Amino acid sequence: MARAAKSALVLCMDVGFSMSNSEPGQEPPFEQAKKVIQKFVQRQVFAENKDEVGLVLFGTDGTKNRLAKDGQYENITVHRHLMMPDFELLEEIESELQPGGQQADWLDALVVCMDLLQQETMGKKFERLNIVLLTDLNVQTSADQLDVIINSLKKAGITLQFFLPFPLDGEDRADGGGDGPGPSAASARPGKGLSSQQTQGLEMVKNIMTSLEEEDGLEEVHTFRDALEKLSIFKRIDRRPMAWPCQLTIGSSLTIRIVGYKAVTEEKVKKSWTIVDAQSHQRDDVKRETVYCLNDDDETEVQKDDTIQGFRYGSDIVPFSKVDEDQMKYKSDGKCFSVLGFTKQELIRRHQFMGSQVVKVFAARDDEHAAVALSALIRALDSLKMAAIVRYAYDRRSNPQVGAAFPCIKEKYECLLYVQLPFMEDLRQFTFPMLENNKKFTPSESQLSAADALIDSMMLVEKDEDGESVDVFKVNHIPNPQFQRLFQCLHHRGVNPDDPLPPVEPWLKRALERPQAVSARCQAPLQDVKTKFPLKVVVKKKEQKTSADVFGSSADEPDAKRVKVDEEMEFNLAEIAAGNITSVGSVNPVRDFCALVRQKTVSFDQACQQLTHRIEQLLGNRSPEYYMKSIACIQAFRDQSVSSGNAELFNSYMQSLKRSVPDRNLQEFWDLLIQDALTLISKDEVDGSTISKQDANQFLAFEQKEEVQAAPVQEDTGDVDDLLDMM
Amino acid sequence: TKTMRLRRTKRILECVRSVYTSKIISSDKDLVALVFYGTEQSKNPRNSFKHVYVYHDLDSPGSQRVLDIDKLLGEKGAQFAEKTIGSGETSLGEALWCCSNLYSDIKLRLSHKRLMIFTCRDDPHGGDGAKDRQARTKAADLKETGVVIDLMHLTKPGGFDVSLFFCDIVSPPEDESELGLQIEPCRKLEDLQKRVRAKELKKRSQSRLTFSLGEGVNLAVGVYVLARTATKPSAVKLHRDTNEPVRTKTRYFHAHNGGILLPNDMKRAQVYGKKQIVMEKDEVDEIKKFDDPGLVLMGFKPMDRLKLHHHIRPALFIYPEEEQISGSSCVFTALLLKCSEKNVFALCRYIPRRNTPPRFVALVPQREELDQSQTQATPPGFNVIFLPFADDIRTLDAHVGPTASDEQVDKMKEIVHKLRFKYKSDSFENPVLQQHYRNLEALALNMLEPEPIEDLTMPKVQMMDARLGPLAQEFKDLVYPPDYNPEGKPAAKRKTAESGGGAAEKKPKAEISEEELKNHVANSTLGKLTVPVLKDACKQFGIRTTGTKKQELIDALTMQLSK
Repeated sequence: MARAAKSALVLCMDVGFSMSNSEPGQEPPFEQAKKVIQKFVQRQVFAENKDEVGLVLFGTDGTKNRLAKDGQYENITVHRHLMMPDFELLEEIESELQPGGQQADWLDALVVCMDLLQQETMGKKFERLNIVLLTDLNVQTSADQLDVIINSLKKAGITLQFFLPFPLDGEDRADGGGDGPGPSAASARPGKGLSSQQTQGLEMVKNIMTSLEEEDGLEEVHTFRDALEKLSIFKRIDRRPMAWPCQLTIGSSLTIRIVGYKAVTEEKVKKSWTIVDAQSHQRDDVKRETVYCLNDDDETEVQKDDTIQGFRYGSDIVPFSKVDEDQMKYKSDGKCFSVLGFTKQELIRRHQFMGSQVVKVFAARDDEHAAVALSALIRALDSLKMAAIVRYAYDRRSNPQVGAAFPCIKEKYECLLYVQLPFMEDLRQFTFPMLENNKKFTPSESQLSAADALIDSMMLVEKDEDGESVDVFKVNHIPNPQFQRLFQCLHHRGVNPDDPLPPVEPWLKRALERPQAVSARCQAPLQDVKTKFPLKVVVKKKEQKTSADVFGSSADEPDAKRVKVDEEMEFNLAEIAAGNITSVGSVNPVRDFCALVRQKTVSFDQACQQLTHRIEQLLGNRSPEYYMKSIACIQAFRDQSVSSGNAELFNSYMQSLKRSVPDRNLQEFWDLLIQDALTLISKDEVDGSTISKQDANQFLAFEQKEEVQAAPVQEDTGDVDDLLDMM
Repeated sequence: TKTMRLRRTKRILECVRSVYTSKIISSDKDLVALVFYGTEQSKNPRNSFKHVYVYHDLDSPGSQRVLDIDKLLGEKGAQFAEKTIGSGETSLGEALWCCSNLYSDIKLRLSHKRLMIFTCRDDPHGGDGAKDRQARTKAADLKETGVVIDLMHLTKPGGFDVSLFFCDIVSPPEDESELGLQIEPCRKLEDLQKRVRAKELKKRSQSRLTFSLGEGVNLAVGVYVLARTATKPSAVKLHRDTNEPVRTKTRYFHAHNGGILLPNDMKRAQVYGKKQIVMEKDEVDEIKKFDDPGLVLMGFKPMDRLKLHHHIRPALFIYPEEEQISGSSCVFTALLLKCSEKNVFALCRYIPRRNTPPRFVALVPQREELDQSQTQATPPGFNVIFLPFADDIRTLDAHVGPTASDEQVDKMKEIVHKLRFKYKSDSFENPVLQQHYRNLEALALNMLEPEPIEDLTMPKVQMMDARLGPLAQEFKDLVYPPDYNPEGKPAAKRKTAESGGGAAEKKPKAEISEEELKNHVANSTLGKLTVPVLKDACKQFGIRTTGTKKQELIDALTMQLSK
């Protein structure tokens, strides 16, 4: 397999004084070019590929290059030799790249770059050599060497790209071939008003580019502005698809050699965050420790070796060691792609596709017999509108799947598309109330036509002048905004460690919005929908439920009964007080706590501390029965705090508890607190409290209720990516 | 006769056993009680009911209950039952009363209450009108409190006449057209006996979101999961000596001074281009925030723009939430009808939760479909199909080869035709899960070995061969030359495996010297090493690695060795 092909690239930027000239209100070409370079290097750093980059500046006050001699090649500086770009380079560009006070011939600079490429790639293998020139062409050049230069570029196989502050001809042509999101902003400065040097320079650029690449050459001349739009899209995370050779079988005797490739799969961020010490920023300073402990009062620690695994079987937990599990578990007999049968495509529902990938299946490479056999299958399925249902197992370690292989015939190739289908256990048969014939919800004719008009006005597929359908919002052309944003922030923080994070870049925001043309078109129909369909946010009645309700203990019991319970407790307390309660135990923490507070054998602080320790322990279990107990504890804590006029301990505990809710996944528990209105103790209740009544009332609410979804456990380990990572 | 009675008892006990074992796996939090009536002995909470024997109190079932049932089965079981329970006077009313006490003794609020009466007697009180009346009254009381009473009767000679007595006891069927009442008792019992080993999930929306059609036009929808890969329930850690469950506590502490580190004492970091970039945890979350959770309509596209291969995740399902925004159902229905009529899908931006980056989804209309028995086969709503971003699509160079001739294609069509079947999405069980559940059952119920599973994912090769007959050979003759062996190549691999001579002798451990490593670091060529080698190297230098991703290992080594 071919190793990742790497390129060598020299960025050659004009920093001469004319680059700093600009019309009022315009960004000088120097600044624009600097941004292009920054974006480019940034992209390279985060792509973490092996490409090497050099940086040559011309128009600098000083001179630093191998060719400078006898007054030739002056004011040209090799700022960085060919190497992999890193943050150092980014920092240098940020702080050291300054406008120069001289002018230098861009053709001379080109020669320096060629020399650099040739010298520094010697003995190494590069797929591509490229020079990127950023200049305003505003300098006298000597064209006499032009032919020699073009010839040596050709001979060395070096490609050229130009980035200019203005378009090549009147219009912004670099826009043409792009299919990026949205048309690029209005063109840069018009071609008018160019100096004679610039006009002459343009001619030379055209000359070079057309002789290097013939007609397409001019496609490689861009404006700064255009480049910024396109470069800012960080390079996609490149993954080489990994081949999965296997055999497709039909029955016992029909076998076709195939190769599968992951064609579509959700790409995840390559790196995860490591935890470092906040002061030293060293990861080795942070040690993570996981301890096992029993559910008893002392949380007795247990050695890891003294634990075994078990599984719940109803109310029991059945010990089932890893060794036994491995021995008894389902064993698959290795990789396979076996046809179970064929079925009509319409019987396979699109929304029942499972798994996270689509695999393209081709015949084995360079095996024409396999190609013919597979082609026969693909074409047969295609003409019958059928698909194969197959058993798919990636390898011996992985779980088998049942999936569908659909025929796919393209102009250039044919293949099968494999998608996983559900098992019986994966499906949830929920029923929902009917909508269509429900009198309450049936839309009227005028409502239906409003919806109809809205759909028509918001079609994202339009006909162009030639009558061809054009999709104006192709999701599969949008880069994943998560990566773009992450890299933007990483770059910013890397270069400016003390700055806050920057806002989302405008182009990215735009790419995620409805196209402007569609927005404009749908205004009127949307307004119509708004008037025809009354939509009203339901103001929620204050939920009267209490936690006890949720768990049903005292559903509709009148208050009288509650009072009785309290009395009973008092009575018990009196009894117990006679005995000797010395600490808050786990069996009846509320009773113990109240007794301690009453006996005054330990200080109030200590009693509270013991109680909160128990609460924390109970919450560690995250199950309803323990929640109930915790709530009883908090209630007692609050009651005793109010009666002893000490709000501080309770309030500070509650505040810290609230902070820990998201991390500990205690939202459900917090909801119960809300239902019981167990909030902070306010000034109105205890004089010493620093909390106003209003603050207390608002305390329990989180800004937004968050539904936490457990991350799906990736159980099936072996798959294409695993192997890729092992290469 | 006695044998007939034995057989009937056995049948019912097997049903009960099956209810238990299914419940244990499908919904282990459900409470189940087993009450015998018409017994000689009495056993109930306050012993206030004669001839009612509460064999199992209302509680979540475990293995002991299944073993208890096993004790009553067979010849020996019958003797045992005779001794402990015996048979005596029958009063269904007393039994129902006892059951109603069992329900009310439970402190938890129950969402469903169901009572199944297993019997083979259609006139249990033999014409005793007072007892019949008492039973009817008690049944009415139970139904009043939300208990659904179901009859699971066996056939009896001359037919089980429901109208004699039980029609007044059981809950009326939900659908009035079904007034005929349990005509086929056996089917019901058979259904009960069918063991379903799959976790049952309550219908609950994953989240409730605002669906914005445009400025100021918002409706509310609930997001549901209708299909998600079921996984083995997670294991619990137990103390080896006592089988007591243990909890894990994770804490962070400072490597040098040993002090416990609180969340504020730690930050997050990543390394790029040899530079460590540090952020607060809050910032890491903030980076992922683009907008508030919700669905935002971008526009509509014809259905043929939804590509088959644009699949990255299982779909979700949305249904309007009238309780959040009134009027939602009406707009939703109008959109559903119109999208379906115009054959378009809605394209939306979807942010499921706070601090979650957006994804684009296709809302595909799905109108309600009923099956023959008028029950819902597909619910009305939109399926939410996740669409890939540019990064999710991999570029691969397609294999281009010769294509098949019409004759070859036609032969394959015959093969396809012979092997066609009607695919149904619920017809395949997951063999891995099924094996796991059976293993667990075997261990819990002290069985010698687990019940065998039928692996439905395996091709029925013999049947396929028989159906194909000579077709397979004919096709091969058309596409393969005589000397071609499609199973070729892997032979070489097998040889190395055999010559290895036993599993103990694995590949020689690839150790790598520090010097070599340093060279790799200097030249940035660590990437050439394999993951196992990198892991070993990390161990060798005592580098702690949190991740196992290759890039993380490389970063860790680079950090260590370039110090």
